[in-house]
Amino acid sequence: MRLFNASHLEIKKYFSEDFQTNPYEAGWASECIFFIHVEDIKDVTSDPVLTARVQISHDGVHWCDEGTVSENFGTEGLHFLRVREFGNWLRLDVHVSGASFKLNIQIACKE
Amino acid sequence: MKDNIEVSRFLPLKTVLDYDVFNNGFNGWMVIMPNFCNDGFEQSPSILSKDQWPPCMLSTATFRYPGSNGSMSGQYSLKISTRPVCNPYCQIPAPGSLGHGIKRISFFRKDREFLQFETWFAYTAEQDVCDSEGELPGLHESSVRSFGFGFDIQEGGRRYFAGARYLNSVDGKLQKKWQIIWPTAKDDNEWAYGTDGDWCVKGVDPFWYGKRFPDGRHQAFIDVQDGGQDLCYNETDCKLNWQYFRLKINTKNREYLELQCQDKIMDLGHHPIYSVDPYDRIDGLLNPLAWVENDANRRSFLYLDSVVISQE
Repeated sequence: MRLFNASHLEIKKYFSEDFQTNPYEAGWASECIFFIHVEDIKDVTSDPVLTARVQISHDGVHWCDEGTVSENFGTEGLHFLRVREFGNWLRLDVHVSGASFKLNIQIACKE
Repeated sequence: MKDNIEVSRFLPLKTVLDYDVFNNGFNGWMVIMPNFCNDGFEQSPSILSKDQWPPCMLSTATFRYPGSNGSMSGQYSLKISTRPVCNPYCQIPAPGSLGHGIKRISFFRKDREFLQFETWFAYTAEQDVCDSEGELPGLHESSVRSFGFGFDIQEGGRRYFAGARYLNSVDGKLQKKWQIIWPTAKDDNEWAYGTDGDWCVKGVDPFWYGKRFPDGRHQAFIDVQDGGQDLCYNETDCKLNWQYFRLKINTKNREYLELQCQDKIMDLGHHPIYSVDPYDRIDGLLNPLAWVENDANRRSFLYLDSVVISQE
């Protein structure tokens, strides 16, 4: 039986500025999917843009880009990024502009 | 044979309900969520927002300098952690300054009297910056405010929280003493930091609710007699020591019996456990839980290697 677990990183929270998700330890898993569910978009000032890049770390404090970058997720609905061979620590560096996004971000890991 | 050797480092009561080794997975331990059961899956209005409490993780306790600490039973432990935010002790805890893990089971036998929580645990603050002042720069010991273990229970038509916390630091001043849950707020309003009509009643969610005072008193906890104890917290936070915790309560008379940490045993003197009217649909609920709280703008990590819940 393979081990799988899903955890939240953010729940039903509005973001209108760039942010990074709380560091997550996933060393036990070889596969990871970040689900980004855009529940609502409000306060639109220009084209809504939401992009996310995967970051990795050796200590949970210092971070660098892993190379996986999303397209524009600036629409309501479910989006995802997939990553493998990440070591232990994972987070998303999220860029937001043009609107306020109500987000659920979930990390789904599998070994 | 290996199982027997591992179990010999616990002192379970006659019936073991739960034996979780987190090297094997989460075993059903998870973060506590707000109840998203209002229209549109929104949560009920409350002064408490649990939505910033980080999820439980299977952790290797990997830091910059040692690499991975691993765990006591293997390579992974259950990590309960916080975000790097903190309010002064006497204020409402900042969203995310507290982390919480819980497992949800239920009672198994009617002829029970005792219930016990055992765990091997470790704790540290994040290795993010080296403190430049104080006796032991870099130690971060006072960054962890408290951590604890216990139960959320409803049985026999009464709901109650029973648990013990190690109050480590209050606004940077080390306390290093054990306390048990015992709400002393005069009513629901005082329990909810002076809020009328909050969903939470006096006695429920004591890790978060209840007014706090500068000298470390908290309306949700009282000191254990002779409860002072220096735990093992190494010179650097990249050296973790696994330590033993045991709390025994009586669910028949609803009272505290005994607390043990490392090799120190504390008599809890049959102190009563506070209970409230039952909630709908949850009689028989037996939820072991653990939590950790920040005393600085730095993440705190509480690691559980393994847990045994037993009754007799």
